[in-house]
Amino acid sequence: MASREIVQYRSPLRTAYGIFAVVFLAAYLIWSLLPLFIMFVSSIKDLLEAFQLPAVGDWGNAIPTFFNFTPTFAHYENLFVRENFGVYLQNSLIAAAGSAAISVVLGAMTAYGLSRLEFRFKKDLFFWIISTRMAPVVAVIVPLWAIFRGLDLVGTLPGLIIAYTTFNLPFAIWILKGFFDNVPYAIEEAAMCDGCTRLQALREILPLVAPGVGAFLVLCILFAWNDYLFASIIGSGGAKTLPAATRGLVQPQNIQWGSIMAAGVVTTVPMMFLGLLIRRYLVAGLTMGAVRE
Amino acid sequence: MAEINIDRVWKYYGKTVAVRDLTLNCADGEFLSVLGPSGCGKSSTLRMLAGLEHITAGEIRFAGKRVNDLPPKDRDIAMVFENYALYPHRTVYNNIANALRLRRMPQAEIDKRVRRAAEMLEIGHLLDRRPHELSGGQKQRVAIGRAIVREPQLFLFDEPIAHLDAKLRAHMRGELKHLQRTLGTSMIYVTHDQLEALSMADKIAVMHNGVLQQYGTPADIYNHPVNEWVAGFVGEPPMNFVDCELAGAGGDICVTHPSFSVPVTPEQRARLSDTTAGPVRLGIRPDDVTVAMERGPETPIEAKVFITEPIGGDMLVDTQLADGRRLLVRTKPGFSGRAGDTCWLGFNTSRWHLFSSADGRAYF
Amino acid sequence: MSAVTDAGEFAGALADRPAERGADWGAFTVTHEPATFNRPWSNRFYWVMMLPAIILLACISLYPFFWLIYMSLHSVGEMGQIEGWNDFRNYTRLINDKEFLNGWWLLIKYSAMCMVLEVIIGVFLAVVLNGSRFEKVLVTLFLMPMMMAPVIAGTVWYFLYNGTFGWYHWLFQSLGILDAKSILGDPSTAMFGIVLVDVWQWTPLITLITLAGLKRVPQDQAEANLVDGAGPVKNFLQITLPNLYPFLLIAILLRFMDNFRFIDAILVLTGGGPADATKILPVYLFDVTFSFFKLDRGSAIAFTLLLVTIILGLLLVRVFEDPSQKRAATAAGA
Repeated sequence: MASREIVQYRSPLRTAYGIFAVVFLAAYLIWSLLPLFIMFVSSIKDLLEAFQLPAVGDWGNAIPTFFNFTPTFAHYENLFVRENFGVYLQNSLIAAAGSAAISVVLGAMTAYGLSRLEFRFKKDLFFWIISTRMAPVVAVIVPLWAIFRGLDLVGTLPGLIIAYTTFNLPFAIWILKGFFDNVPYAIEEAAMCDGCTRLQALREILPLVAPGVGAFLVLCILFAWNDYLFASIIGSGGAKTLPAATRGLVQPQNIQWGSIMAAGVVTTVPMMFLGLLIRRYLVAGLTMGAVRE
Repeated sequence: MAEINIDRVWKYYGKTVAVRDLTLNCADGEFLSVLGPSGCGKSSTLRMLAGLEHITAGEIRFAGKRVNDLPPKDRDIAMVFENYALYPHRTVYNNIANALRLRRMPQAEIDKRVRRAAEMLEIGHLLDRRPHELSGGQKQRVAIGRAIVREPQLFLFDEPIAHLDAKLRAHMRGELKHLQRTLGTSMIYVTHDQLEALSMADKIAVMHNGVLQQYGTPADIYNHPVNEWVAGFVGEPPMNFVDCELAGAGGDICVTHPSFSVPVTPEQRARLSDTTAGPVRLGIRPDDVTVAMERGPETPIEAKVFITEPIGGDMLVDTQLADGRRLLVRTKPGFSGRAGDTCWLGFNTSRWHLFSSADGRAYF
Repeated sequence: MSAVTDAGEFAGALADRPAERGADWGAFTVTHEPATFNRPWSNRFYWVMMLPAIILLACISLYPFFWLIYMSLHSVGEMGQIEGWNDFRNYTRLINDKEFLNGWWLLIKYSAMCMVLEVIIGVFLAVVLNGSRFEKVLVTLFLMPMMMAPVIAGTVWYFLYNGTFGWYHWLFQSLGILDAKSILGDPSTAMFGIVLVDVWQWTPLITLITLAGLKRVPQDQAEANLVDGAGPVKNFLQITLPNLYPFLLIAILLRFMDNFRFIDAILVLTGGGPADATKILPVYLFDVTFSFFKLDRGSAIAFTLLLVTIILGLLLVRVFEDPSQKRAATAAGA
C-alpha cells in the first residue's frame, strides 16, 4: 500500500489541475447519480407531474418544473396492493438467497478441496468451472429451458434457484478458492497434530474465511437478485421476480411510469444497501478475485 | 516414549526426489537434530514423521510399530512449526488447551497443565491475548507450549527459532535444550543453522540433496566430518580448503603445496592407502592454524596478511599463500600484523583433514 | 595395501583438478531407486467435499452444453422436440444469414464503443479521485449504479430517453446535440443510446480496478523518476501507466465478456431496433429463440457465441494466472 505521499509543489498548472479535478468530479457525480435521483423522485410524483417537461432550451424552468410536485406514495401502494409485488419480492428473496446459500456451501467445500489437493487435470477442471460462469446466459438458457421443461421446473422457484446456481456456484468456487489459498496450510497441519481429523481441521480455519464467505454470499444474492433473463424465461409463470415484474409493467399501451419507477426503487434499494455492506469485497467480487483493494 | 526408526525412507514430489533412502534412528529421550541447507529434505523428513506427508517408499516405526498410514492425530506427536501456525482467532490459553480438549481431558486437568506449561515458558501473563497481539518470541513460546502440554512421545520442531532475532535465538537455544532435558521426551529438531544443531543436540544427522551425509554426536560431526561437504557446512567461520599433493619425502608422507610441505601424523598415515596417490584436498579449520609475525618451528609457512578482522574476543586473519590461495586464521586480538605484511603460519596437524580430490570423501 | 612411501609412485597420478567446486562438491549421493513404493494415501476426504458441486455443475452446465450441440445439429420443434438430423443446415444457413453477421458486427462495434468510453472516463476518474480528499465517499457514491439490476437500469433510461417526457431527451435537445425525434427511435442514435447506459452503469468498475492499481504503483519508482527530473505528466506516462497495464487488461476483458453476457438493458431499451440498429448478436439470438421459437437455429447461434466466449475466457484465465500479472494485480492484496 502506498502510504507515503509524494511531495507536491505549488504551481499555476497544479492549481488549474486542482480546479479542473473538482469540476470533473462534480460533473461525474451528477451524471452518475442523476438517473437514480430521477427514479426516486419520479416514483413519488403522480402521473401528470411525471410527464411535465420544460420547453427545449428553457434551462431556467428545468429545476422548478422538476420539483413541482406533491409527494405521493400511491405508486408503492399500487405495487403491493394491486400488482402482487409482495409475492414477487418474496420470490426474489427466496430465489436469490436459496441459490446463494447452495452456491456458497457447495462452493466452499469444492474450493477447499481444490485449494488443498493437487491432482492431474486440476487446471482443466478449474477452467471448466470458470467458463461455466462466463457463458452468456442467453446462450445457455435454450438447452436449460428445454431440460427444465422436461423436469417441470419452468415457472417454479426451485427451477430458478438451480438456474441461478449455474452462475453463482462457479463464481463461489473461484472466489473462495482464493480465500482458502490465503490461509496457511500449517494451521490445519497444526490442528491435525493437535489431534483433529481432517474435517475438524477444516472447521478450525473456517473462522478465518468466514468474513469473506459472508461477503460473497451477499454478492451471490446480488447477482441472482439482479438477473432478468433467467427470471423471464425459467421463472415465467409461477416464479416472477422483481426485475421481471418491473419489466412486465412496461407496456406500450399503458405506461405506468410512477409504478415502474417505484418498482425500480424497490428492486434497487436493497441491493444498494447490500453493496455498501460488503463494500470492501466489491472489487474482488466484481473482478472474479483478480483485483483486490 | 519410544525409539523412532526411519527405515529406507524415500519422498517423491511428482518426479522430484526430496529424500533418498534415509535410514535414521532416534533413541528414547534423545535430542536429534536434522541439519542441512534449505531443500535438503529435512523438513520433508519431519513432515513424514508427523504424518503430514505420505511416505513414498520405506517405513517409519514408532516403538517398533509401523506408522506409515496413521494420521497425525493417532501418532502421539507434537509439532512446532516454522511460522508457529497458531490459531489466529483463539486466545493463547485456548491455543494451548486445544489439543487437550480434543482428547476430552477433564477441565481441571486441562487448566492445570496449561498453567504449568505457561509458567515453564514464562507466558503466564499472556494467556488471554490473541496471537496477533504477541511478538515473534512470544508466539514461538506459545507454539512450544501447545506442544509440551500434550506430553507426547515425540516432539517435532521445524526450525522453530529461525525467525527470531539473533539475541533471542541464542537465548532460546539454551531454553529449548533445558526444556528437552527436563521433559525427557525424544525430540527431532530440524534446522539449517549448524550452531543450533551443535549446541543443542545429542545426535546430529546432516542431510544434503535428500541424502544423509553423516550421523553422529556434535563432536563427531565437527571433529571428524566424513566428507568435504559436511566439513564445509559445519563450523563457523568455515573450514579452509587447499588443493595439495601427497608426496613421499624421506619415509614420511607429506602434504605439499607450493608454499609448504607438512608430514602427516603416523595415525593419519595408517589411514592412507596407495589409492590416495595424487592430488588431495587439505581441510583445516581457522582455529587449527597458528599465525605469527616471526618464523618459528611452529610456524614455518610463509604467507601474507590479506586483511584482519577483529571480532571482539578473537581476531580473524585472512592470509594469502604464495599461489594466491586464501587461508582464514583465528587468533588472539593481540596479533599485530597489517594488510600486506609477511606472516608465518603453522598447522595443527593432529586436527587437520584430508579429502579425496576425486569424490570428497575424508581420509581422516 | 601399503601406505604411500615414495614420491615416484605419484608420478602421472595427477588427476584433472576442478578449479572451482560446486555447492554439492564432496557430498554423498544416492543413485539407485527405491525397490518398492508404498500405497498412496487416499484423498477421499477432498473428493467427497468436491463431488457434490462438480456433479451439480455437470448437470447444469455440461449436460446442457452437449444438449445445445445436439439441438444445433437437428431440426427442433417449437417446444423443443427433436425432429431429425438436418445435415448441418442450422450452421450452413448462418453463413448467409445477414442478421447473424450483422449481429456479430454490431456486437463488436457496441463492445468497442463501450470499452473506449469506459476506459477513458474510468481511468481519468480514478486518477483524479486517487488521493483526493473525498475519495472514499465519492467512490461509494459512484458505485451505486453498479448495484442496480441491468434491466432496471434499462427501464430507467428508457424513461429518461423518452421522446415526449424524458428528461435526458430534453437535456440533449437543449444542449443542441440531438435533433432526432427520439434517441432510441432513430437508427443513427440508438446505438449511442444503449452505449451510454452501459457507460453509465459500468464505468465505475473500471475506476475501481484502476484505483486498486494506482494504489499499487511502486512509490520508489515514482520517486526515482521524479528525482530524475520527470514532471507529473511524464511520471504518469512512464511509471503509472505501465504499472496499470495488467489491471486495465483484466478490466477490459471482464467488461468485454459482460457485454456478451448481459443484454437485459438492451432488451428493454430497444429490443434490437430500430431497424435492427442495435440487434447485437445475443439480442438476435434471443429473438430467434424466444420470439420465433427457432430453437435449432438458436442453438447453432448460441454455439458460435459460446465458442467465442470460451476463447475469451481462456485469454482471461491466462491473464489471471500469468505470474507477472498476478503478482502485479494481487500482490499485497490480502
